[in-house]
Amino acid sequence: MTSGARGCPPGTPLSRLLHRFETLVDRLAQLAAWLFFLIGLMITYEVVARYVFNAPTIWAFDLSRLTQIWATWLAAAYLLRSRQLIAVGLLYGRLGPRMERLAAAISLLVIAAVAASGLIWGLRIVAESIRFGRKTATMLDLPLWATEIAVPVGCLLLLLQVAVELARLVCEPNYRLRFARDVDEAEEVRQ
Amino acid sequence: MTTVAILTALVLLLVVGVPVAFALASLGLGLLVAGGFSPLMVPQAFHSVFDNFVLVAVPLFLLMGNILLKAGIGRDLFDAVQAWVGHLPGGLAVATIVSCALFAAISGSSVATAATIGTVAIPEMLRRGYERRYVLGLLAAGGTLGILIPPSIPMIVYGVVTEESIIDLFLAGIVPGLLLAGLFILYAVLRAALLGGYTPSPRADWRVRLTASARALPTLALAVLVVGGIYVGAFTPTEASAVGFAGALLLALAMGRLDRATLVAAVRDAMATTVTIFLVLAGAKIFGKAITLYRIPQELSEVLIATFATPAGFLLAITLVLLVMGCFLEALSMLVLMMPILYPALLPLGIDPIWFGVYFVIMIECALITPPVGLNLFVIQAVARTTIQEVALGVWPFVLLMLVTALALFLAPDLALYVPFQLAR
Repeated sequence: MTSGARGCPPGTPLSRLLHRFETLVDRLAQLAAWLFFLIGLMITYEVVARYVFNAPTIWAFDLSRLTQIWATWLAAAYLLRSRQLIAVGLLYGRLGPRMERLAAAISLLVIAAVAASGLIWGLRIVAESIRFGRKTATMLDLPLWATEIAVPVGCLLLLLQVAVELARLVCEPNYRLRFARDVDEAEEVRQ
Repeated sequence: MTTVAILTALVLLLVVGVPVAFALASLGLGLLVAGGFSPLMVPQAFHSVFDNFVLVAVPLFLLMGNILLKAGIGRDLFDAVQAWVGHLPGGLAVATIVSCALFAAISGSSVATAATIGTVAIPEMLRRGYERRYVLGLLAAGGTLGILIPPSIPMIVYGVVTEESIIDLFLAGIVPGLLLAGLFILYAVLRAALLGGYTPSPRADWRVRLTASARALPTLALAVLVVGGIYVGAFTPTEASAVGFAGALLLALAMGRLDRATLVAAVRDAMATTVTIFLVLAGAKIFGKAITLYRIPQELSEVLIATFATPAGFLLAITLVLLVMGCFLEALSMLVLMMPILYPALLPLGIDPIWFGVYFVIMIECALITPPVGLNLFVIQAVARTTIQEVALGVWPFVLLMLVTALALFLAPDLALYVPFQLAR
């Protein structure tokens, strides 16, 4: 996991707040990773139940998708924090410090706009689902809001991570926002 | 006019460095708002893309690959193939190609393949006198075999974007994947026979062969079970991915190569790659919906059909566009950007969408290793700590072999379509 907001004056309330939030983002990403692992166990159980015992479950199909939605949104902010989103790195290293910071600010504001729309309109969808008692059209008959609320939650986390990045952009002179250029490169970064 | 403005805005966002997922999503959002459409589509897409049982196969195949990768099966595969064919003319190169193909198919990552097989094969091949450029080109190209041979993440993404059958796509990739691997092997053997310039490896004795095979066999058996299960219709791709995941976990445990730290790293890497891919898909979905409301794919496909009246002309144009895009975009982004626009043109031109999926995947990988600036060349350059020119010079013969495969696929579409539509039915 990447380091905290080291450039901001240490010991200040802001610095502590940023650090706490980023620790939370890291922990949620760990949770998300194990949620994907849990999906693996669920589907494996389903395969065994279906093909070995001829007794398919009614929950594996629904719960694996529910878990997948939550895992994805719990980890979205971490991908921004750890720079593992994919971007076209054409200008990386070719801009002066001021222009690089400007490009970073534009990227962050674009991400914020998308996250804000996911948060605001996502909450509206959740509210409607609760009001109308919408449910999944599957055997388990789950309330739809249980998965829909993952979107505004994930977008809120993403929005807060953008705020953290903007704070670091302001108070860290050497702040950089360079993402991986492809999935494989992201893997390399992690290894 | 609108189309040009949208494409310009997209290019600007990408060039500034906005992540692909958010460049697509923000442009989609902007188009929805500007056109008076409901922005509710944004959270809806963020929900519906991941609320998809087929996509569950992505994290599970990635978990399978990462667990096996971290358990060190790359070396096992290389050692086993090397023990059988290493002493033949060009045997070491053949062993590298075969282990690259196997490992890339299992891990689904060309760079993990280059890094893993490369660390074993590069020093060994150089020590045996193989030309450096050739070795680097071989590894760059070898890694790309994996996305044709199932299970393949780009094929799953193609299937989700176009709503085509992922099983058919997987099956359609088998023969072209084997053909391409066969051409690489043929080239390696002919090159060794005609040019020489290497010291043959000593013939491994039977004890070494059997020991090395015994170590690699369980992994191969797992790969056969996963692909074979899909082929005979026993598993859906998602179920097959779960079998692969559980099998990889059990194998790594049984081999005593899975400690807590290894598992944590494998699970974390699989999560990050999964979410990266998923967010690109979600961004592409919003962008795709928005441009459809503006009727851009329909209009562009009409222009494409009118301009390139024949499938050959259309495919040639796509090939050239992809070669340019491969200079700065990675495989999945190319796929999700191009397919919503190209898909409506396929049926009027009489092009089978499953066949096109295979062709498209070959061309994407070709674009990524095409000099001067294919993106995968940089990856190999970094892995081998060499110059981009050296990799580029070594990769040319393999690019040509990929183009030969694409041409063969064009002339004989059954190379892709026979297995899913004749043999497996």
